Amino acid sequence: MATESASMGGDPQQLLSRSRELTARVRSAQRVTWVPLAVLAAATFGAVPAYRFSHSVRTCRTWVHPHGQSGTICLVYNSAAFVYWPIALVAAYVTIAALYLHRSRARGVGTRVRPYVIAGIAIAVLLTGTSLWVDRHPPTDPHDILGLHIAALQAGSIFRLTGPASAIGLALLVLAWAERSRALLVFAFGYMAIVLIPIDFGWVIARPSRWSFLPHFVIDGSVLLLGAIAFALAQRAARQSSA
Amino acid sequence: MTGHPANGLDDVVHQRVRLGILTIAHEARQVEFGFLRANLELTAGNLSQHLTVLESAGLITIEKGYAGKRARTWITLTKAGRLALREEITQLKLLINQIESADRPRNGAVAPD
Repeated sequence: MATESASMGGDPQQLLSRSRELTARVRSAQRVTWVPLAVLAAATFGAVPAYRFSHSVRTCRTWVHPHGQSGTICLVYNSAAFVYWPIALVAAYVTIAALYLHRSRARGVGTRVRPYVIAGIAIAVLLTGTSLWVDRHPPTDPHDILGLHIAALQAGSIFRLTGPASAIGLALLVLAWAERSRALLVFAFGYMAIVLIPIDFGWVIARPSRWSFLPHFVIDGSVLLLGAIAFALAQRAARQSSA
Repeated sequence: MTGHPANGLDDVVHQRVRLGILTIAHEARQVEFGFLRANLELTAGNLSQHLTVLESAGLITIEKGYAGKRARTWITLTKAGRLALREEITQLKLLINQIESADRPRNGAVAPD
């Protein structure tokens, strides 16, 4: 019986390799990676008018270190930040979920987007909450952030880690896992590096200009947009070659 | 019954097309009839027969509906289907290991004169 069954199924090596090939085909049909990247690029570019037509809030405190050092520590943020980003990110993830569902159903397969959308919304809410907490409890020492003793050079990265661009990057890591895409994993790490270091390509508009936020959003948004274009072209080519 | 991996193979699952259906349904979460037909290169009648076997064994569920005016048939793997697929893949890997380990000493042996 087992012999009959084995001959009916064929060579185990061939069966396994065919299973792997079919798995790869399904994954290729499911991937619409350019959609979240394009939608999140739009959300990032959308922040430009939101920030431009709101005002900058600056709260400063004097700090004195027990060893005698002293200075002033200032927290600067845009009044639109706490309103625009939660709304924009939740709207973006709802749009992404709808587009993924539409595309995957049109191709005849289910979708893996649910963990990404849930993680994206959860991270956005969590980081907005953290930013609000920092706003209500501003640091009294430049080395003391969120109760952590941190070197001054790392402090900026910690603040950026609680920002919207970082929320986008962290959620992209979840999408890379959900889609089992190494290319997206590499892209998400690259994006996180650009956001956290941050890499500004030498384009800086100093305060008190009302456009000081512009390089940051244009660079982050452009990286997402270029990523969307690259993934769209690569996935289209992959589908055409497998068809 | 011996411990040979071939004895652990399920006749329903250990079949090239049906294993393909289960693999696709597992990876896709839910898959449409047309996608299966195109990727497994089968006629509609042939695919339907295999789907009936899998549905009777409780390994998949078949749901019919409409997308606009187009009739659509969606196939979803059941929990039993997931377990059966996992078991089949495990048995296939064991079988491959057994064949390879049986080949090794024979290849290394000195041929008799």
